[in-house]
Amino acid sequence: MVDSKNKWKAWLYLSPALVLLGIFTVYPIFNTVQLAFLNGYNIWEAMDGKMFTIGIDNFVKVLNYPGFLTTLKTTILLCVLTVPVSTMLALLIAVALNSIKALNRLLQTIFFLPYVTNSIAIGMVFATMFNMIGLDPATGIPQTAGIINNFLSIFGVGPVNWINPGSTYEANMFVMCVYIVWNALPFKILVLLGGLQSVNKQYYDAAKVDGTSRARVFWRITVPLLSPMISYVLITGFIGGFKEYSSVVGVFGEGMGPTGDKELQTMVGLIYDSLGEVGTGEGFASAAAMILFVIILAVTILNLKVSNKKVHY
Amino acid sequence: MKVVLEHLTKIFPSRNKKSNEQVVAVNDFTFEIPDGKLIGLLGPSGCGKSTTLYMISGLQKPTGGKIFFGEDDVTELTPENRGVGLVFQNYALYPHMTVKQNILFPLQNLKGEDKLTKTVMLERAYEAARLVQIDDLMDRKPHELSGGQQQRVAIARALVKMPRVLLLDEPLSNLDARLRLQTREEIKRIQRETGITTVFVTHDQEEAMSISDMIVVMRLGVLQQIGAPQEVYDNPVNLFVAKFLGTPPINVFEGVVKGEKLYIGEQAVLDVKGAADQEVYVGIRPEGFITNPEGEFTTNLINVEVMGRDVSIVSKHPNAVSETIRSIVDADSAIDRDATTVSFSLKPHKVFLFSKETEQRIPFEVK
Amino acid sequence: MDTAVVMQEKDLQKVTARQRVVKILVKTLTYVFLGSMALIVLFPFYWMIISSLKTLEEYRRNVPTFWPEKIMWNNYTAAFQIADLGSLFVNTVYVGVVSTILSLVITVLTAFAFARLEFKGKGLLFAGLLATMMIPGEMFTITNYQTVVQHFKWEGKFVALIIPFLVSVFYIYLLRNNFLQIPDELYYAAKVDGTSDLKYLWKVMIPLAMPTLISITILKMMGSWNSYMWPKLVAGKDGLHDMITNGLRGASFVNPDNPSEVDYPRQMAAVATVSAPLFLVFIFLRKYIMKGVSRSGIKG
Repeated sequence: MVDSKNKWKAWLYLSPALVLLGIFTVYPIFNTVQLAFLNGYNIWEAMDGKMFTIGIDNFVKVLNYPGFLTTLKTTILLCVLTVPVSTMLALLIAVALNSIKALNRLLQTIFFLPYVTNSIAIGMVFATMFNMIGLDPATGIPQTAGIINNFLSIFGVGPVNWINPGSTYEANMFVMCVYIVWNALPFKILVLLGGLQSVNKQYYDAAKVDGTSRARVFWRITVPLLSPMISYVLITGFIGGFKEYSSVVGVFGEGMGPTGDKELQTMVGLIYDSLGEVGTGEGFASAAAMILFVIILAVTILNLKVSNKKVHY
Repeated sequence: MKVVLEHLTKIFPSRNKKSNEQVVAVNDFTFEIPDGKLIGLLGPSGCGKSTTLYMISGLQKPTGGKIFFGEDDVTELTPENRGVGLVFQNYALYPHMTVKQNILFPLQNLKGEDKLTKTVMLERAYEAARLVQIDDLMDRKPHELSGGQQQRVAIARALVKMPRVLLLDEPLSNLDARLRLQTREEIKRIQRETGITTVFVTHDQEEAMSISDMIVVMRLGVLQQIGAPQEVYDNPVNLFVAKFLGTPPINVFEGVVKGEKLYIGEQAVLDVKGAADQEVYVGIRPEGFITNPEGEFTTNLINVEVMGRDVSIVSKHPNAVSETIRSIVDADSAIDRDATTVSFSLKPHKVFLFSKETEQRIPFEVK
Repeated sequence: MDTAVVMQEKDLQKVTARQRVVKILVKTLTYVFLGSMALIVLFPFYWMIISSLKTLEEYRRNVPTFWPEKIMWNNYTAAFQIADLGSLFVNTVYVGVVSTILSLVITVLTAFAFARLEFKGKGLLFAGLLATMMIPGEMFTITNYQTVVQHFKWEGKFVALIIPFLVSVFYIYLLRNNFLQIPDELYYAAKVDGTSDLKYLWKVMIPLAMPTLISITILKMMGSWNSYMWPKLVAGKDGLHDMITNGLRGASFVNPDNPSEVDYPRQMAAVATVSAPLFLVFIFLRKYIMKGVSRSGIKG
């Protein structure tokens, strides 16, 4: 490095980034934490110079909020149900893709397609696919044909009310899980395939000479050698899973449920909703955000702890 | 278990889709590897030696020809059904498993009636480990081992399932010079103790010559010569084999046979009874020179390098194909270092003639 | 050690036949698996497109059609009008382009300072920046919403959509690493020749880091295209500054003859229109996107 005499130059280059980061990244960290611990915070009163006592009222409010437990349950379920499924599926697809030559490029491109989509827009497509057949019992208006139900009827199943008013929580969650897995696949496939391609082929040749069965190659060689990527994909998957929100908006609209009554409210949705109560909702939102942050942090640490034991670097 | 290759051929399709050029990696190999011997497949890179090894292992399928293990035609068999042990050039030890797990791995693959009990597996693993002298390293991971130790683990892993044939791909190329000497003795010892037919691939002729019972010299996918190392060295069938074997390499000159006499330049250097008149390449092994002031062959002296037991004389000759000529003579030979020329007489059995057209050996009678 | 027993000829044939069957079977299963997964992945796109071209009547049928009987291109024109896609496009492209350009300038300057200049506290500052990447975005959103709306009074202005997200620590990190791979000698040589830092940056480092810059550009543009939550908070109620995703989700596509029924073909036409630019970018710049993504894991 050149020892530049005019060190102010470095700071000049850095200044735009530092100013913006200061206002929009560093200050919010402290401010949000502070807001969470100010009892009865109200921005209008704050502007008038009112001081607030420090306490955990906001957290109590969040925990006592009627929908909080359902929200937490939905958030955790969406995460816990989808991450293992999408990771396993992505791993299988990546391994299969890595084993073929013909059509490889085409299939890779297809599997990456869901990544370059707008999760709200495609959520709307999933909503049309899962729509119900027949007349809406409440209004008698003809409902559009849902291709999924049409498909299921071939096997004599259904029709199931997946997402329309009157549908069950389980059915709603199933649709969300299918959509989230579909949406999460491309990134995971990309990372795992990249990992597979960097694995030395001779490990597989060695296993072949020794007559190793395919299942054993997968569990004893592929999975351990890929473990850093698998752990990366799991950790980012869990972090993303806990912040699920726009996929629900995509499928159900801003009502976040079949009747628009926030049946599938998520933690992030809860935070944004309380922000909507301008002036008074910030304390509540901050407390909820901190709870979410602590959950994510705990799960990530747990993940890292497990990986340190299992992951081979 | 003897291994027989019959008209073995491997053609790789061109990588470039547009051109139809094919690469013939192995062209019509036919030879037999006798039971219980150590065989070196030798040749410069791209000669098809690794391809041959991989075809014997079953990892690559021949385009044509057949492979027999003993009386069994194994050409169509996948590697696991052939009963081969393969040691890879960079060992391919599973990095996440300990030495013990690596050695046990092939045994744990056995199924059905071949399935072994845990105790037997451990016994066999330790037996293999003792054979290559790594039984005290069983709980280490590969990255905690030196290159030489990794090599031994790889051999143990290949041996533990008692293969019918053991294959080694460039077994010494990843080791430093000192370890290389030691390891090649080790390979020889292990092969003798187990009596398993062993084939190894190398581009290093010294390595091949020093431990093989038999060497197979290849070039550009074509088999050149098979035989005991000394026999091939003493009787190369063509110029390529003569040039490829021996350090320092053989000296090559352009010469002419006229009236059963060999001329290099104007000098008649040797009687070659039985050779027809023609233009030839003359190969003279470095040890084929004897310093003799009255010698028939005179070259321009450049340098004399003393190497203890021997003396290496570097000289030049206008008809030499290479830049310099290197001859190795006894240290007590009288050499005038300040002279501009040096004269030699030649040892007839260290001189080879090759046709200028075909580069094939031209025999002549040695008195 | 003894060698294995010689196999009988009959065994040999049996083994050969079995391994051939297994091989074909595995290959077939692999392709069947990949093929069916690919169909599942593609199906929503297919369904979106054919639905967008059907009449509402055809769409509604209990027995679905897999190709529209009558291709309704005018669903697209209707979708454009209903969701006002035209002005949403303009808004989104404007915000996307302006924020991408500004973001690139800031990212390049910052990455250059971290990669090539020497100043006190550099390591610490950089580590501090990286640490902020661990905090979930929602923590920032709450305060930023306050800052932008209450303090700066930017609600309903494009500036509210552009400024808060200009600096991405991840992009800085990506580019700095790329800059660091450029050998120091080039910089020394430039210094000896009296080239200024800025000229060196412009003439040497930026061209060499082009692939990363393209990746950043695409990811940032995709981010604007897909942004939903922040615009919803700060774009104001007049709808004049909405981003495309908000407009799409917010628009009501109803059957003109029956206001309580959703006109799905038109909705799908709007969805397809919004998705199309992303696909075009993907087709032409697939390499850069995949490279950027495999290093990030961050959508947009």
